[in-house]
Amino acid sequence: MLSPERLALPDYEYLAQRHVLTYMEDAVCQLLENKEDISQYGIARFFTEYFNSVCQGTHILFREFSFIQATPHNRASFLRAFWRCFRTVGKNGDLLTMREYHCLLQLLCPDFPLELTQKAARIVLMDDAMDCLMSFSDFLFAFQIQFYYSEFLESVAAIYQDLLAGKNPNTVIVPTSSSGQHRQRPALGEASTLEGVEASLFYQCLENLCDRHKYSCPPPALVKEVLSNVQRLTFYGFLVALSKHHGINQALGALPDKGDLMHDPAMDEELERLVVRSRLHRTSRQHRAEKPGAFGFQRRDKLEAPESMPSASAPTPCPYRWEPRE
Amino acid sequence: MIPGKYRSVSGRAANNVNCGLHLVIQTSSLPEKSKVEFKLNKETPSFSGRLLQHDLERNYSSRQGDGRVISPSPRNKSSCISSTTNVTELCGLEMKTTMSSLSAFGDSSIQTPSKSRIRQGCHSAGPNVSGDHINLASSSMPSFPILQRSSEEKILYSDRLTLERQKLTVCPIIDGEEHLRLLNFQHNFITRIQNISNLQRLIFLDLYDNQIEEISGLSTLRSLRVLLLGKNRIKKISNLENLKSLDVLDLHGNQITKIENVNHLCDLRVLNLARNLLSHVDNLNGLDSLTELNLRHNQITFVRDVDNLPCLQRLFLSFNNISTFESVCCLADSSSLSDITFDGNPIAQESWYKHTILQNMMQLRQLDMKRVTEKKRLTINNVARKWDLQQHRIPNIAPNQDRKVSDSPQDPSQLHGSTISAFPEETGSLDSGLTSALQGLSVTDTHLVEVDGDTLSLYGSGALESLDRNWSVQTAGMVTTVSFTFIEFDEIVQVLPKLKIKFPNSLHLKFKETNLVMLQQFNALAQLRRVDQLTIDPQGNPVVNFTLWKYYVLFRLSHFSMQKINGTEVTQNDMIMAERLFGILAHVASSELPQYRLISILGDARKKQFRYLLETKGKKPGLVNEENSDSKRLVGENTNRATLNYTTRDFYNERLEEIKEKKKFCKMYMEDLVKEATEINMKNEALQKLWPQMFIELVRDAVIEIRNKSSYMKLCLQQITDQK
Repeated sequence: MLSPERLALPDYEYLAQRHVLTYMEDAVCQLLENKEDISQYGIARFFTEYFNSVCQGTHILFREFSFIQATPHNRASFLRAFWRCFRTVGKNGDLLTMREYHCLLQLLCPDFPLELTQKAARIVLMDDAMDCLMSFSDFLFAFQIQFYYSEFLESVAAIYQDLLAGKNPNTVIVPTSSSGQHRQRPALGEASTLEGVEASLFYQCLENLCDRHKYSCPPPALVKEVLSNVQRLTFYGFLVALSKHHGINQALGALPDKGDLMHDPAMDEELERLVVRSRLHRTSRQHRAEKPGAFGFQRRDKLEAPESMPSASAPTPCPYRWEPRE
Repeated sequence: MIPGKYRSVSGRAANNVNCGLHLVIQTSSLPEKSKVEFKLNKETPSFSGRLLQHDLERNYSSRQGDGRVISPSPRNKSSCISSTTNVTELCGLEMKTTMSSLSAFGDSSIQTPSKSRIRQGCHSAGPNVSGDHINLASSSMPSFPILQRSSEEKILYSDRLTLERQKLTVCPIIDGEEHLRLLNFQHNFITRIQNISNLQRLIFLDLYDNQIEEISGLSTLRSLRVLLLGKNRIKKISNLENLKSLDVLDLHGNQITKIENVNHLCDLRVLNLARNLLSHVDNLNGLDSLTELNLRHNQITFVRDVDNLPCLQRLFLSFNNISTFESVCCLADSSSLSDITFDGNPIAQESWYKHTILQNMMQLRQLDMKRVTEKKRLTINNVARKWDLQQHRIPNIAPNQDRKVSDSPQDPSQLHGSTISAFPEETGSLDSGLTSALQGLSVTDTHLVEVDGDTLSLYGSGALESLDRNWSVQTAGMVTTVSFTFIEFDEIVQVLPKLKIKFPNSLHLKFKETNLVMLQQFNALAQLRRVDQLTIDPQGNPVVNFTLWKYYVLFRLSHFSMQKINGTEVTQNDMIMAERLFGILAHVASSELPQYRLISILGDARKKQFRYLLETKGKKPGLVNEENSDSKRLVGENTNRATLNYTTRDFYNERLEEIKEKKKFCKMYMEDLVKEATEINMKNEALQKLWPQMFIELVRDAVIEIRNKSSYMKLCLQQITDQK
């Protein structure tokens, strides 16, 4: 629990850096918001529940976007929640548009910005034809990169643009690169039809960026691996490679491997139960609906209440605990 | 015996003269006069026009209804009765001209006296040849009977001849009657038009209900103005080339499959092609005088060319197969069209039907026999424009249209008058006699509220205020369909609790141009009491383009056990699919949310209800109980998806603001708290670091102090005495 870094930083900064402050602030904020309800069942219990849900990653459900994106843990939790809730859509094989995925995101986070979804779709669709249909896994992995590393990617985009323009974005760059630049320039000039930038140069810049970037960024070793396979690459090519790299997915730790993406036996079991129940529910309803009567529905509503109550009052305990990696 | 018979005949004939009087005058006068008559008719208001059309069909049906074939539909009958009285009331003097022109269209024979007269005449003249006034005898050509009338008869009815119900299979040769102007062969078995080419002054020829298969033998009848060929077996419109002055052409009840060979009939005013086999309408150019076109009961799927008819006022397209507005869009370009019917077409079932038609056809004065008030049209247009502006669809406003809108009369009395449950009868008074259903319509400039039978239609956001009105129990109970057009969905959400109370029987909701863009918006509908059917028009509701929207609706609103979505029956498989797709979401939402959040989310819904409750409490204590049971239900209904609710944009933003405020406070509070804590911690740590040293120092000081025992004792004693 006490890492050695802790001693290197003043307490306050340490807490802030580890986002402990964020959660403490949020907990108090939540307490403030629901003070009538919470005071009924105890403040200590509220705090226990709050931090438990933070650990489980369920604290981000239906929360506002500013909170969801506040910490890497929140982002990973959101990604995981999205995957768990809508895995069935992917399993069903539906291909959806960017807007529809956005709607699904909004079911979990009502003010999720369209811009982020658009950017993720751009990774899948390579910047054109935004109305195209995407498969669930393509979207999910692209979205993961875009959402989790969004600040990092913004910096990368700036670096890429600078490189394209022939500028060297890093003033503090490795000494060898300047000579490399000189040799590069004429080559760039004659091969200006070539797409993208040179991979090794790009990597040097990114490595530099990773060092000083205060937001989370993918492990430099993996970035190097991605970039070492190619000579040149475009920005979107880079993003696609990132999104498809399963080492990065593992490092991020929110989603299972691509092969296991549709696999969630615990939830499937739960779903079967729900389907069976809904089928019973519907048929019983239909039987009752056949009885005529002007106020039949009111009567029915009253009958309904006790019937579906148990399902709500006895929530299945969720044994599934998930430890985020950071 | 014969004179007696004759006397009685003439007596009846005298009776008949009364009925046929107009016709006699009309036909015996020269063509100019009849022209005047027709002109008069042209200028009569659209009322008479409708009457005309209706009566044409009515008469046929009532004739048939005389005891044979088709029974007249009750609606038609009653409408005719009421319309007749209407006309008498409204048109006064013009009535006469209308009636007379009507009779010219083939109704002269409707009066039974006339029929019996002729029958009698022919009986006496017929087979036994001994008759003195009409003589039907075999000619030199064996197959054609020759008809001759007595001179008296000729003098009496010099210009007309009626051979109705004579069981004729061929046209007789009519000799010495070149001056005839009116010839009636109704209800015979004639298969071919023959032997009348010598009657070159003929104006009116009635061959209704025969077995004619082809139009022929008319090429010499250049002055013919009215040609009635209804209920025959004609397959093709042909051989009308020389009938240039034709004014009325009735071909209803034949087997015609397309409109052709009529382009030269530039004087034709009425064309009746009802009950044929037309599959489409085009090739109408040249019919420059056509004012009425009857195409009811065909199989028409599209209409073209109508914009080439400069005088067309009335177009009847009822009971055809028109399903899109695009297939009749040329109607929008017709400037003269004032009266149109579409009832009995698929298009009339669409929720957008009425206002799309009205919006596109500014010139329309009647739609499906209901009067279109100028106001209603303007309002719908205005609302649509306002909406378009809101949606930034129109960059700038055309000045003339703008003027029109502002010119539309603002009539506050109308609006306020209608707040009392007695609504002004804006729809044509015709309908008030017909339908017992309440016809309410109240109008202002920016919105429109309409109750039509079981449907409440709201156009424009202002219309939502109408839900605050005191609706009569009867009206409110009757409304089962509520349709929203040109209203933001977020605004609708706010009135849903009211809707639930005011219109408890509303089962079918229709949305068009309501900006439904997100799945989560459907969450809002869950608070209603019951929804059996949901119709979301793709126009102005992008959400319908999603693959999953129906399943989401079924999932979220599963407690309603909905029957139909957008007209499609909901199946068990759909329900299961919906559950499979979204069941986990509900499960996660209900079982994994920390309890305090569950309470607060459910609480929000309850709070919202509570707020509304407070608003209405003052008005009606009776509602409270109902509300309570409702909120109870809300908890019971489906807790596992009740967490999925929708807060409107504005409300959500408001809440975000609130949260921001709270966050700011919490941040400050936490900052202070943490700073304090870290300071204490720092001090503590510093103390921990210093303490061992301090302790040693303290001990050393103490030891040094007490090293010399006697001096220390002295010092102590000294201190004690000093204190005293």
